[in-house]
Amino acid sequence: MIVEAKSLHKRFHDVVAVESLDLAVERGSCYGLVGPNGAGKTTTMRMIYCLNRPTSGRLSVFGLDVLKEPRRIKARLGVVPQDNNLDPDLSTCRNLEVYARYFGIGRADAATRCHELLDFMQLRDRADSPIPALSGGMKRRLVIARALVNNPELLILDEPTTGLDPQVRHLIWDRLLDLKEQGITLMLTTHYMEEAQKLCDRVLIMDHARAVAEGSPTELIREHVSPYVLELRAGRTLNAHITSRFGHMEHRSSGQNLYFYGGSPDEFDDLLAAYSQMERLLRPSSLEDVFLKLTGRDLRL
Amino acid sequence: MNQGLLSVTSAFSRVWLRNAQVYLTLWKFNIFPALAEPILFIFVFGIGIGSYIDQMEGVPYLEFVAPGILGIAAIMQATFECTYGSYFRMRMQNTFEGIISTPVSAAEVGMAEIAWGATRGLVTSTLVLVILAFLGVFHNPSVLLLPVITLLAAFNFAAIAIIVTSRIAQMEYFHFYFAGFVLPAQFLCGTFFPISRFPEPVQVIAWIIPLTSFVDIMRSLTLARITPSLIPETVWALGSTIILTELAVRSMQRRLVE
Ligand SMILES: Nc1ncnc2c1ncn2[C@@H]1O[C@H](COP(=O)(O)OP(=O)(O)OP(=O)(O)O)[C@@H](O)[C@H]1O
Ligand SMILES: [Mg+2]
Repeated sequence: MIVEAKSLHKRFHDVVAVESLDLAVERGSCYGLVGPNGAGKTTTMRMIYCLNRPTSGRLSVFGLDVLKEPRRIKARLGVVPQDNNLDPDLSTCRNLEVYARYFGIGRADAATRCHELLDFMQLRDRADSPIPALSGGMKRRLVIARALVNNPELLILDEPTTGLDPQVRHLIWDRLLDLKEQGITLMLTTHYMEEAQKLCDRVLIMDHARAVAEGSPTELIREHVSPYVLELRAGRTLNAHITSRFGHMEHRSSGQNLYFYGGSPDEFDDLLAAYSQMERLLRPSSLEDVFLKLTGRDLRL
Repeated sequence: MNQGLLSVTSAFSRVWLRNAQVYLTLWKFNIFPALAEPILFIFVFGIGIGSYIDQMEGVPYLEFVAPGILGIAAIMQATFECTYGSYFRMRMQNTFEGIISTPVSAAEVGMAEIAWGATRGLVTSTLVLVILAFLGVFHNPSVLLLPVITLLAAFNFAAIAIIVTSRIAQMEYFHFYFAGFVLPAQFLCGTFFPISRFPEPVQVIAWIIPLTSFVDIMRSLTLARITPSLIPETVWALGSTIILTELAVRSMQRRLVE
Protein backbone atom coordinates (compact mmCIF):
# COMPACT_ATOMS: atom_id res chain seq x y z
CA MET A 1 0.00 0.00 0.00
CA ILE A 2 1.26 3.46 -0.88
CA VAL A 3 -0.80 5.19 1.79
CA GLU A 4 -2.26 3.44 4.80
CA ALA A 5 -4.24 5.06 7.62
CA LYS A 6 -5.52 3.27 10.71
CA SER A 7 -8.02 5.02 13.01
CA LEU A 8 -6.52 8.36 12.10
CA HIS A 9 -7.61 11.36 14.17
CA LYS A 10 -6.88 15.05 13.80
CA ARG A 11 -8.05 17.75 16.17
CA PHE A 12 -7.39 21.47 15.91
CA HIS A 13 -7.94 22.75 19.44
CA ASP A 14 -11.62 21.88 19.89
CA VAL A 15 -12.43 21.19 16.23
CA VAL A 16 -12.35 17.55 15.20
CA ALA A 17 -11.27 17.63 11.57
CA VAL A 18 -10.70 13.90 10.98
CA GLU A 19 -12.02 11.08 13.13
CA SER A 20 -11.39 7.32 13.06
CA LEU A 21 -10.36 7.29 9.45
CA ASP A 22 -9.09 4.12 7.79
CA LEU A 23 -7.89 4.11 4.25
CA ALA A 24 -5.55 2.23 1.97
CA VAL A 25 -4.30 3.40 -1.40
CA GLU A 26 -2.86 0.84 -3.79
CA ARG A 27 0.17 1.55 -5.93
CA GLY A 28 -0.74 2.76 -9.39
CA SER A 29 -4.35 3.50 -8.56
CA CYS A 30 -6.28 6.74 -8.39
CA TYR A 31 -7.96 7.31 -5.04
CA GLY A 32 -10.58 10.00 -4.57
CA LEU A 33 -11.76 11.80 -1.44
CA VAL A 34 -15.10 13.53 -1.73
CA GLY A 35 -17.30 15.19 0.84
CA PRO A 36 -19.07 18.45 1.68
CA ASN A 37 -17.13 21.58 2.65
CA GLY A 38 -15.39 21.09 5.97
CA ALA A 39 -15.60 17.29 5.80
CA GLY A 40 -11.89 16.93 6.48
CA LYS A 41 -10.51 16.19 3.01
CA THR A 42 -7.78 18.81 3.02
CA THR A 43 -6.74 17.91 6.56
CA THR A 44 -6.41 14.26 5.52
CA MET A 45 -4.30 15.22 2.50
CA ARG A 46 -2.12 17.55 4.57
CA MET A 47 -1.43 14.79 7.04
CA ILE A 48 -0.31 12.61 4.15
CA TYR A 49 2.12 15.23 2.90
CA CYS A 50 3.29 15.91 6.43
CA LEU A 51 2.04 19.49 6.90
CA ASN A 52 -0.42 18.52 9.61
CA ARG A 53 0.51 16.08 12.34
CA PRO A 54 -2.02 13.38 13.23
CA THR A 55 -3.38 13.71 16.77
CA SER A 56 -3.61 9.93 17.07
CA GLY A 57 -3.82 6.82 14.95
CA ARG A 58 -1.32 5.58 12.42
CA LEU A 59 -0.54 7.00 9.01
CA SER A 60 2.16 5.67 6.76
CA VAL A 61 3.15 6.73 3.26
CA PHE A 62 5.42 4.42 1.23
CA GLY A 63 5.50 2.36 4.41
CA LEU A 64 7.15 5.27 6.29
CA ASP A 65 5.61 6.88 9.35
CA VAL A 66 4.53 10.48 8.69
CA LEU A 67 5.66 11.59 12.14
CA LYS A 68 9.11 10.01 11.89
CA GLU A 69 10.17 10.34 8.28
CA PRO A 70 8.57 13.42 6.73
CA ARG A 71 11.68 14.30 4.74
CA ARG A 72 11.94 10.92 3.04
CA ILE A 73 8.22 10.87 2.35
CA LYS A 74 8.11 14.37 0.90
CA ALA A 75 11.06 13.62 -1.40
CA ARG A 76 8.86 11.08 -3.23
CA LEU A 77 5.63 13.08 -3.30
CA GLY A 78 4.12 15.70 -5.57
CA VAL A 79 1.67 18.12 -3.97
CA VAL A 80 -1.02 20.26 -5.58
CA PRO A 81 -2.54 22.19 -2.65
CA GLN A 82 -6.12 23.44 -2.57
CA ASP A 83 -4.95 27.07 -2.79
CA ASN A 84 -2.23 27.83 -5.31
CA ASN A 85 0.99 28.79 -3.60
CA LEU A 86 3.21 29.64 -6.53
CA ASP A 87 6.11 31.93 -5.70
CA PRO A 88 4.97 35.35 -7.00
CA ASP A 89 8.51 36.71 -6.75
CA LEU A 90 9.67 34.36 -9.52
CA SER A 91 8.71 33.89 -13.16
CA THR A 92 6.93 30.77 -14.42
CA CYS A 93 10.05 28.84 -15.37
CA ARG A 94 12.00 30.04 -12.30
CA ASN A 95 9.18 28.75 -10.12
CA LEU A 96 9.89 25.26 -11.41
CA GLU A 97 13.67 25.60 -11.25
CA VAL A 98 13.71 26.97 -7.72
CA TYR A 99 11.24 24.29 -6.66
CA ALA A 100 13.51 21.64 -8.19
CA ARG A 101 16.35 23.00 -6.08
CA TYR A 102 14.31 22.40 -2.91
CA PHE A 103 14.47 18.72 -3.89
CA GLY A 104 18.21 18.94 -4.38
CA ILE A 105 17.94 18.64 -8.17
CA GLY A 106 20.91 20.21 -9.97
CA ARG A 107 20.70 23.26 -12.18
CA ALA A 108 21.05 21.52 -15.55
CA ASP A 109 18.53 18.80 -14.73
CA ALA A 110 16.13 21.40 -13.38
CA ALA A 111 16.27 23.41 -16.61
CA THR A 112 15.55 20.32 -18.73
CA ARG A 113 12.75 19.23 -16.41
CA CYS A 114 11.26 22.73 -16.50
CA HIS A 115 10.95 22.65 -20.28
CA GLU A 116 9.55 19.13 -20.36
CA LEU A 117 6.93 20.02 -17.77
CA LEU A 118 5.92 23.30 -19.38
CA ASP A 119 5.38 21.35 -22.60
CA PHE A 120 3.47 18.63 -20.79
CA MET A 121 1.07 21.15 -19.22
CA GLN A 122 0.94 23.29 -22.40
CA LEU A 123 2.55 26.33 -20.83
CA ARG A 124 5.57 26.57 -23.10
CA ASP A 125 4.69 30.07 -24.33
CA ARG A 126 4.43 31.29 -20.76
CA ALA A 127 7.90 30.29 -19.57
CA ASP A 128 8.90 33.87 -18.80
CA SER A 129 5.58 35.23 -17.57
CA PRO A 130 5.37 36.65 -14.07
CA ILE A 131 2.91 34.69 -11.94
CA PRO A 132 0.30 37.49 -11.57
CA ALA A 133 0.05 37.62 -15.37
CA LEU A 134 -1.17 34.00 -15.58
CA SER A 135 -4.87 33.13 -15.73
CA GLY A 136 -6.42 30.88 -13.09
CA GLY A 137 -6.20 27.87 -15.39
CA MET A 138 -2.55 28.55 -16.22
CA LYS A 139 -1.65 28.91 -12.55
CA ARG A 140 -3.33 25.62 -11.79
CA ARG A 141 -1.48 23.89 -14.63
CA LEU A 142 1.77 25.37 -13.37
CA VAL A 143 1.14 24.10 -9.84
CA ILE A 144 0.58 20.63 -11.31
CA ALA A 145 3.77 20.95 -13.37
CA ARG A 146 5.62 22.01 -10.23
CA ALA A 147 4.32 18.98 -8.34
CA LEU A 148 5.90 16.75 -10.99
CA VAL A 149 9.34 18.30 -10.86
CA ASN A 150 10.79 15.51 -8.69
CA ASN A 151 9.20 12.64 -10.68
CA PRO A 152 6.97 11.73 -7.72
CA GLU A 153 5.65 8.23 -7.09
CA LEU A 154 2.51 9.64 -5.51
CA LEU A 155 0.76 12.78 -6.67
CA ILE A 156 -1.62 14.46 -4.24
CA LEU A 157 -4.15 16.84 -5.75
CA ASP A 158 -6.48 18.86 -3.52
CA GLU A 159 -9.34 20.04 -5.76
CA PRO A 160 -7.19 20.21 -8.91
CA THR A 161 -9.94 21.55 -11.16
CA THR A 162 -12.11 23.77 -8.95
CA GLY A 163 -13.06 26.98 -10.73
CA LEU A 164 -11.57 26.03 -14.09
CA ASP A 165 -13.21 26.11 -17.51
CA PRO A 166 -14.16 22.83 -19.24
CA GLN A 167 -11.19 22.97 -21.63
CA VAL A 168 -8.65 23.22 -18.86
CA ARG A 169 -10.50 20.62 -16.83
CA HIS A 170 -10.36 18.15 -19.72
CA LEU A 171 -6.68 18.90 -20.30
CA ILE A 172 -5.96 18.21 -16.63
CA TRP A 173 -7.99 14.99 -16.70
CA ASP A 174 -6.07 13.81 -19.76
CA ARG A 175 -2.76 14.59 -18.13
CA LEU A 176 -3.70 12.86 -14.90
CA LEU A 177 -4.69 9.76 -16.84
CA ASP A 178 -1.34 9.93 -18.69
CA LEU A 179 0.44 10.03 -15.36
CA LYS A 180 -1.57 7.12 -14.05
CA GLU A 181 -0.63 5.14 -17.14
CA GLN A 182 3.02 5.83 -16.31
CA GLY A 183 2.41 4.12 -12.98
CA ILE A 184 2.13 7.17 -10.76
CA THR A 185 -0.32 6.78 -7.88
CA LEU A 186 -2.88 9.59 -7.67
CA MET A 187 -4.86 10.85 -4.72
CA LEU A 188 -7.32 13.64 -5.29
CA THR A 189 -10.17 15.48 -3.67
CA THR A 190 -12.94 16.99 -5.68
CA HIS A 191 -16.43 18.44 -5.46
CA TYR A 192 -17.22 17.24 -8.98
CA MET A 193 -18.62 13.73 -8.85
CA GLU A 194 -18.18 13.45 -12.60
CA GLU A 195 -14.46 13.96 -12.05
CA ALA A 196 -14.29 11.36 -9.30
CA GLN A 197 -16.24 8.89 -11.41
CA LYS A 198 -14.04 9.47 -14.43
CA LEU A 199 -10.65 9.32 -12.76
CA CYS A 200 -10.88 7.33 -9.58
CA ASP A 201 -10.59 3.58 -9.07
CA ARG A 202 -11.80 4.00 -5.52
CA VAL A 203 -13.66 6.80 -3.83
CA LEU A 204 -14.00 7.61 -0.14
CA ILE A 205 -16.99 9.71 0.81
CA MET A 206 -16.37 11.75 3.96
CA ASP A 207 -18.78 13.76 6.04
CA HIS A 208 -18.34 15.42 9.43
CA ALA A 209 -14.74 14.21 9.72
CA ARG A 210 -15.67 10.56 9.17
CA ALA A 211 -15.75 8.11 6.30
CA VAL A 212 -19.33 7.31 5.31
CA ALA A 213 -18.69 4.97 2.37
CA GLU A 214 -15.85 3.62 0.32
CA GLY A 215 -15.55 1.64 -2.89
CA SER A 216 -15.21 1.87 -6.64
CA PRO A 217 -17.71 4.28 -8.23
CA THR A 218 -19.73 1.39 -9.67
CA GLU A 219 -19.77 -0.45 -6.36
CA LEU A 220 -20.91 2.66 -4.54
CA ILE A 221 -23.71 3.21 -7.02
CA ARG A 222 -24.77 -0.42 -6.85
CA GLU A 223 -24.75 -0.52 -3.06
CA HIS A 224 -26.37 2.77 -2.25
CA VAL A 225 -28.80 3.79 -5.01
CA SER A 226 -31.08 2.21 -7.61
CA PRO A 227 -29.58 1.95 -11.08
CA TYR A 228 -31.92 4.48 -12.73
CA VAL A 229 -33.24 7.89 -11.81
CA LEU A 230 -36.06 9.86 -13.31
CA GLU A 231 -35.81 13.56 -12.63
CA LEU A 232 -39.01 15.57 -12.99
CA ARG A 233 -39.24 19.31 -12.75
CA ALA A 234 -42.88 19.81 -11.92
CA GLY A 235 -43.04 22.61 -9.40
CA ARG A 236 -44.16 22.27 -5.80
CA THR A 237 -47.91 21.93 -6.33
CA LEU A 238 -47.70 19.29 -9.02
CA ASN A 239 -45.09 17.44 -6.98
CA ALA A 240 -47.68 16.70 -4.33
CA HIS A 241 -50.06 15.43 -6.98
CA ILE A 242 -47.47 13.15 -8.51
CA THR A 243 -46.33 11.71 -5.22
CA SER A 244 -49.94 10.96 -4.23
CA ARG A 245 -50.27 8.78 -7.33
CA PHE A 246 -46.80 7.25 -7.52
CA GLY A 247 -45.80 7.34 -3.86
CA HIS A 248 -45.35 3.59 -3.91
CA MET A 249 -42.19 4.06 -6.00
CA GLU A 250 -38.94 5.03 -4.29
CA HIS A 251 -38.70 8.80 -4.55
CA ARG A 252 -37.35 11.98 -3.03
CA SER A 253 -38.36 15.59 -3.54
CA SER A 254 -36.02 18.51 -3.46
CA GLY A 255 -37.28 22.02 -4.10
CA GLN A 256 -38.89 22.10 -7.51
CA ASN A 257 -37.58 18.66 -8.42
CA LEU A 258 -38.78 15.14 -7.89
CA TYR A 259 -36.54 12.13 -8.18
CA PHE A 260 -37.87 8.60 -8.75
CA TYR A 261 -35.61 5.59 -8.47
CA GLY A 262 -35.95 2.27 -10.26
CA GLY A 263 -34.14 -0.92 -11.14
CA SER A 264 -34.69 -0.63 -14.90
CA PRO A 265 -35.92 2.05 -17.34
CA ASP A 266 -39.29 0.35 -17.95
CA GLU A 267 -40.29 0.72 -14.28
CA PHE A 268 -40.93 4.37 -15.11
CA ASP A 269 -43.23 3.69 -18.08
CA ASP A 270 -46.52 4.46 -16.27
CA LEU A 271 -45.15 7.57 -14.72
CA LEU A 272 -43.75 8.85 -17.99
CA ALA A 273 -47.01 8.15 -19.79
CA ALA A 274 -49.03 9.98 -17.13
CA TYR A 275 -46.89 13.09 -17.26
CA SER A 276 -45.72 13.11 -20.85
CA GLN A 277 -45.74 16.91 -21.09
CA MET A 278 -43.40 17.47 -18.19
CA GLU A 279 -39.72 18.43 -18.27
CA ARG A 280 -37.93 15.21 -17.36
CA LEU A 281 -34.74 13.26 -17.57
CA LEU A 282 -34.34 9.51 -17.31
CA ARG A 283 -30.72 8.59 -16.66
CA PRO A 284 -28.51 5.95 -15.05
CA SER A 285 -27.62 6.76 -11.44
CA SER A 286 -24.35 8.50 -10.82
CA LEU A 287 -21.93 9.03 -8.00
CA GLU A 288 -23.64 12.36 -7.39
CA ASP A 289 -26.83 10.50 -6.40
CA VAL A 290 -24.83 8.41 -3.96
CA PHE A 291 -23.15 11.52 -2.59
CA LEU A 292 -26.42 13.37 -2.03
CA LYS A 293 -28.08 10.36 -0.53
CA LEU A 294 -25.29 9.75 1.96
CA THR A 295 -24.45 13.32 2.88
CA GLY A 296 -27.90 14.86 2.57
CA ARG A 297 -28.88 18.05 0.85
CA ASP A 298 -28.32 20.40 3.73
CA LEU A 299 -25.78 23.13 3.35
CA ARG A 300 -22.77 22.97 5.65
CA LEU A 301 -22.71 26.11 7.70
CA MET B 1 10.55 13.97 14.42
CA ASN B 2 13.72 15.85 15.24
CA GLN B 3 13.14 19.31 16.57
CA GLY B 4 15.04 22.54 16.55
CA LEU B 5 18.50 23.43 15.33
CA LEU B 6 19.83 19.89 15.48
CA SER B 7 17.37 18.88 12.77
CA VAL B 8 18.55 21.60 10.38
CA THR B 9 20.54 20.35 7.40
CA SER B 10 22.28 22.23 4.62
CA ALA B 11 18.97 22.13 2.73
CA PHE B 12 18.26 25.49 4.37
CA SER B 13 20.71 27.05 1.89
CA ARG B 14 18.26 26.28 -0.94
CA VAL B 15 15.77 28.67 0.62
CA TRP B 16 18.50 31.22 1.31
CA LEU B 17 19.38 31.02 -2.40
CA ARG B 18 15.74 31.61 -3.33
CA ASN B 19 15.71 34.81 -1.31
CA ALA B 20 19.06 35.90 -2.73
CA GLN B 21 17.83 35.27 -6.26
CA VAL B 22 14.72 37.41 -5.74
CA TYR B 23 16.79 40.12 -4.03
CA LEU B 24 19.29 40.35 -6.89
CA THR B 25 16.56 40.99 -9.44
CA LEU B 26 15.35 43.93 -7.34
CA TRP B 27 18.64 45.06 -5.75
CA LYS B 28 18.24 48.73 -6.70
CA PHE B 29 15.02 48.92 -4.75
CA ASN B 30 16.62 47.19 -1.80
CA ILE B 31 20.07 48.66 -1.32
CA PHE B 32 19.62 52.42 -1.48
CA PRO B 33 16.56 52.88 0.76
CA ALA B 34 18.29 50.73 3.38
CA LEU B 35 21.21 53.17 3.45
CA ALA B 36 19.02 56.21 4.07
CA GLU B 37 18.74 55.79 7.84
CA PRO B 38 22.42 55.10 8.56
CA ILE B 39 23.50 58.02 6.37
CA LEU B 40 21.03 60.25 8.20
CA PHE B 41 22.47 59.07 11.53
CA ILE B 42 26.00 59.84 10.34
CA PHE B 43 24.96 63.40 9.45
CA VAL B 44 22.63 64.14 12.33
CA PHE B 45 24.54 62.58 15.19
CA GLY B 46 28.09 62.20 13.95
CA ILE B 47 28.50 65.49 12.14
CA GLY B 48 25.56 67.63 13.38
CA ILE B 49 25.45 66.96 17.10
CA GLY B 50 29.07 65.84 17.00
CA SER B 51 30.19 69.37 16.18
CA TYR B 52 28.85 70.50 19.59
CA ILE B 53 30.51 67.64 21.44
CA ASP B 54 34.20 67.91 21.84
CA GLN B 55 34.95 64.34 22.68
CA MET B 56 33.24 61.31 24.13
CA GLU B 57 35.26 58.70 26.02
CA GLY B 58 38.37 60.46 24.76
CA VAL B 59 37.67 60.28 21.01
CA PRO B 60 35.89 62.54 18.49
CA TYR B 61 32.13 61.93 18.66
CA LEU B 62 31.82 60.46 15.15
CA GLU B 63 34.44 57.88 16.07
CA PHE B 64 32.49 57.09 19.21
CA VAL B 65 29.11 56.60 17.49
CA ALA B 66 30.47 54.76 14.42
CA PRO B 67 30.07 51.28 16.04
CA GLY B 68 26.56 52.26 17.18
CA ILE B 69 25.56 53.34 13.68
CA LEU B 70 27.00 50.11 12.24
CA GLY B 71 25.18 48.00 14.79
CA ILE B 72 21.89 49.78 14.18
CA ALA B 73 22.27 49.41 10.40
CA ALA B 74 22.83 45.68 10.79
CA ILE B 75 20.00 44.95 13.21
CA MET B 76 17.45 47.19 11.53
CA GLN B 77 17.96 45.62 8.13
CA ALA B 78 17.75 42.13 9.63
CA THR B 79 14.68 43.11 11.64
CA PHE B 80 12.78 44.51 8.66
CA GLU B 81 13.63 41.49 6.55
CA CYS B 82 12.53 38.98 9.18
CA THR B 83 9.40 40.81 10.29
CA TYR B 84 7.57 42.31 7.33
CA GLY B 85 9.59 40.40 4.72
CA SER B 86 9.20 36.97 6.28
CA TYR B 87 5.62 37.60 7.33
CA PHE B 88 4.74 38.55 3.79
CA ARG B 89 6.32 35.41 2.40
CA MET B 90 4.65 33.29 5.06
CA ARG B 91 1.13 34.68 5.17
CA MET B 92 0.41 36.70 2.05
CA GLN B 93 2.30 34.62 -0.49
CA ASN B 94 2.14 31.20 1.18
CA THR B 95 5.67 30.68 -0.08
CA PHE B 96 6.71 28.70 2.99
CA GLU B 97 3.85 26.26 2.58
CA GLY B 98 5.08 25.47 -0.92
CA ILE B 99 8.63 25.04 0.33
CA ILE B 100 7.84 22.70 3.21
CA SER B 101 5.86 20.45 0.87
CA THR B 102 9.32 19.44 -0.41
CA PRO B 103 12.08 17.70 1.58
CA VAL B 104 12.97 21.10 3.08
CA SER B 105 11.67 21.25 6.66
CA ALA B 106 9.94 24.06 8.53
CA ALA B 107 13.00 24.35 10.79
CA GLU B 108 15.15 24.88 7.71
CA VAL B 109 12.82 27.57 6.42
CA GLY B 110 13.20 29.33 9.79
CA MET B 111 16.97 28.97 9.63
CA ALA B 112 17.07 30.21 6.04
CA GLU B 113 15.02 33.29 6.87
CA ILE B 114 17.32 34.13 9.78
CA ALA B 115 20.41 33.56 7.66
CA TRP B 116 18.93 35.70 4.92
CA GLY B 117 18.04 38.53 7.32
CA ALA B 118 21.60 38.32 8.65
CA THR B 119 22.97 38.48 5.13
CA ARG B 120 21.01 41.62 4.39
CA GLY B 121 22.19 43.15 7.65
CA LEU B 122 25.75 42.34 6.68
CA VAL B 123 25.40 43.90 3.22
CA THR B 124 23.89 47.14 4.52
CA SER B 125 26.28 47.51 7.46
CA THR B 126 29.28 46.80 5.25
CA LEU B 127 28.26 49.63 2.92
CA VAL B 128 27.92 51.90 5.95
CA LEU B 129 31.36 50.72 7.06
CA VAL B 130 32.81 51.80 3.73
CA ILE B 131 31.16 55.24 4.03
CA LEU B 132 32.54 55.64 7.55
CA ALA B 133 36.00 54.58 6.37
CA PHE B 134 35.87 57.31 3.74
CA LEU B 135 35.05 59.80 6.47
CA GLY B 136 38.33 58.81 8.12
CA VAL B 137 36.78 57.34 11.23
CA PHE B 138 38.93 54.22 11.48
CA HIS B 139 42.60 54.02 12.44
CA ASN B 140 43.19 50.41 13.48
CA PRO B 141 43.53 47.24 11.42
CA SER B 142 41.23 45.49 13.93
CA VAL B 143 38.27 47.18 12.18
CA LEU B 144 38.62 44.45 9.57
CA LEU B 145 36.90 42.19 12.10
CA LEU B 146 33.82 44.46 12.26
CA PRO B 147 31.83 42.58 9.57
CA VAL B 148 32.03 39.42 11.67
CA ILE B 149 30.36 41.25 14.54
CA THR B 150 27.75 43.03 12.43
CA LEU B 151 26.86 39.69 10.84
CA LEU B 152 26.41 38.12 14.27
CA ALA B 153 24.37 41.10 15.51
CA ALA B 154 22.14 40.90 12.44
CA PHE B 155 21.77 37.15 12.95
CA ASN B 156 20.76 37.70 16.57
CA PHE B 157 18.08 40.24 15.73
CA ALA B 158 16.87 38.21 12.75
CA ALA B 159 16.26 35.34 15.18
CA ILE B 160 14.31 37.55 17.59
CA ALA B 161 12.25 38.85 14.65
CA ILE B 162 11.47 35.31 13.48
CA ILE B 163 10.27 34.40 16.97
CA VAL B 164 7.84 37.32 16.78
CA THR B 165 6.84 36.70 13.17
CA SER B 166 6.10 33.03 13.76
CA ARG B 167 3.86 33.81 16.72
CA ILE B 168 1.69 36.73 15.69
CA ALA B 169 -1.79 36.33 14.27
CA GLN B 170 -1.76 39.54 12.27
CA MET B 171 0.80 41.95 10.93
CA GLU B 172 -0.37 44.84 13.17
CA TYR B 173 1.41 43.25 16.14
CA PHE B 174 4.66 44.39 14.57
CA HIS B 175 3.74 47.93 15.68
CA PHE B 176 4.13 46.80 19.29
CA TYR B 177 7.36 45.02 18.53
CA PHE B 178 8.91 48.03 16.86
CA ALA B 179 7.65 50.60 19.35
CA GLY B 180 8.27 48.45 22.41
CA PHE B 181 11.56 46.80 21.59
CA VAL B 182 13.33 47.71 18.35
CA LEU B 183 13.15 51.47 18.67
CA PRO B 184 14.25 51.61 22.33
CA ALA B 185 17.01 49.08 21.62
CA GLN B 186 18.44 51.41 18.98
CA PHE B 187 19.00 54.14 21.57
CA LEU B 188 19.43 52.24 24.84
CA CYS B 189 22.27 49.98 23.85
CA GLY B 190 25.26 52.27 24.15
CA THR B 191 24.94 53.28 20.55
CA PHE B 192 25.01 57.08 20.92
CA PHE B 193 26.40 57.48 24.45
CA PRO B 194 27.78 55.19 27.18
CA ILE B 195 25.09 53.39 29.12
CA SER B 196 26.83 54.25 32.41
CA ARG B 197 24.69 57.43 32.22
CA PHE B 198 21.55 55.37 32.94
CA PRO B 199 20.21 54.43 36.36
CA GLU B 200 21.26 50.95 37.44
CA PRO B 201 18.02 49.05 36.48
CA VAL B 202 18.06 50.53 32.99
CA GLN B 203 21.68 49.49 32.60
CA VAL B 204 20.73 45.92 33.45
CA ILE B 205 18.01 45.94 30.82
CA ALA B 206 20.43 47.43 28.31
CA TRP B 207 22.99 44.68 28.96
CA ILE B 208 20.34 42.01 28.50
CA ILE B 209 19.58 43.30 25.01
CA PRO B 210 22.42 41.70 23.01
CA LEU B 211 22.95 44.83 20.90
CA THR B 212 24.76 46.43 23.85
CA SER B 213 27.38 43.69 23.81
CA PHE B 214 27.73 43.81 20.04
CA VAL B 215 28.23 47.58 20.03
CA ASP B 216 30.73 47.43 22.86
CA ILE B 217 32.73 44.70 21.13
CA MET B 218 32.77 46.76 17.94
CA ARG B 219 33.86 49.83 19.86
CA SER B 220 36.80 48.00 21.34
CA LEU B 221 37.75 46.95 17.82
CA THR B 222 37.53 50.45 16.32
CA LEU B 223 39.29 52.10 19.24
CA ALA B 224 41.67 49.14 19.79
CA ARG B 225 40.85 49.02 23.50
CA ILE B 226 40.96 45.54 24.93
CA THR B 227 39.20 45.25 28.30
CA PRO B 228 38.24 42.25 30.48
CA SER B 229 34.54 43.02 29.95
CA LEU B 230 34.98 41.71 26.40
CA ILE B 231 34.84 38.16 27.67
CA PRO B 232 31.31 38.19 29.16
CA GLU B 233 30.15 40.33 26.27
CA THR B 234 31.41 37.81 23.72
CA VAL B 235 29.88 34.93 25.65
CA TRP B 236 26.50 36.71 25.78
CA ALA B 237 26.70 37.77 22.12
CA LEU B 238 27.31 34.19 20.99
CA GLY B 239 25.21 32.46 23.62
CA SER B 240 22.12 34.61 23.10
CA THR B 241 22.42 34.16 19.33
CA ILE B 242 22.41 30.39 19.67
CA ILE B 243 19.54 30.37 22.16
CA LEU B 244 17.44 32.77 20.13
CA THR B 245 18.06 30.84 16.91
CA GLU B 246 17.00 27.60 18.60
CA LEU B 247 13.82 29.26 19.85
CA ALA B 248 13.11 30.85 16.47
CA VAL B 249 13.54 27.61 14.56
CA ARG B 250 11.25 25.73 16.94
CA SER B 251 8.71 28.48 16.85
CA MET B 252 8.67 28.39 13.06
CA GLN B 253 8.18 24.61 13.16
CA ARG B 254 5.18 25.00 15.43
CA ARG B 255 3.72 27.67 13.23
CA LEU B 256 4.11 25.88 9.92
CA VAL B 257 3.40 22.25 10.84
CA GLU B 258 0.26 22.11 12.94
N1 LIG C 1 -5.55 25.07 10.78
C1 LIG C 1 -6.78 24.85 11.27
N2 LIG C 1 -7.14 25.34 12.46
C2 LIG C 1 -8.38 25.12 12.95
N3 LIG C 1 -9.32 24.42 12.32
C3 LIG C 1 -9.02 23.90 11.11
C4 LIG C 1 -7.74 24.09 10.53
N4 LIG C 1 -7.72 23.45 9.33
C5 LIG C 1 -8.94 22.91 9.18
N5 LIG C 1 -9.72 23.17 10.24
C6 LIG C 1 -11.11 22.70 10.44
O1 LIG C 1 -11.16 21.32 10.19
C7 LIG C 1 -12.33 20.96 9.49
C8 LIG C 1 -11.99 20.25 8.21
O2 LIG C 1 -11.42 21.17 7.31
P1 LIG C 1 -10.83 20.74 5.89
O3 LIG C 1 -10.16 21.93 5.32
O4 LIG C 1 -10.02 19.51 6.05
O5 LIG C 1 -12.16 20.40 5.08
P2 LIG C 1 -12.35 20.09 3.54
O6 LIG C 1 -13.08 18.81 3.45
O7 LIG C 1 -11.06 20.18 2.82
O8 LIG C 1 -13.30 21.28 3.10
P3 LIG C 1 -13.42 22.05 1.67
O9 LIG C 1 -14.19 21.16 0.78
O10 LIG C 1 -14.19 23.27 2.03
O11 LIG C 1 -12.05 22.32 1.22
C9 LIG C 1 -13.12 22.25 9.31
O12 LIG C 1 -14.06 22.34 10.34
C10 LIG C 1 -12.07 23.33 9.44
O13 LIG C 1 -12.64 24.51 9.94
MG1 LIG D 1 -10.35 21.34 1.34
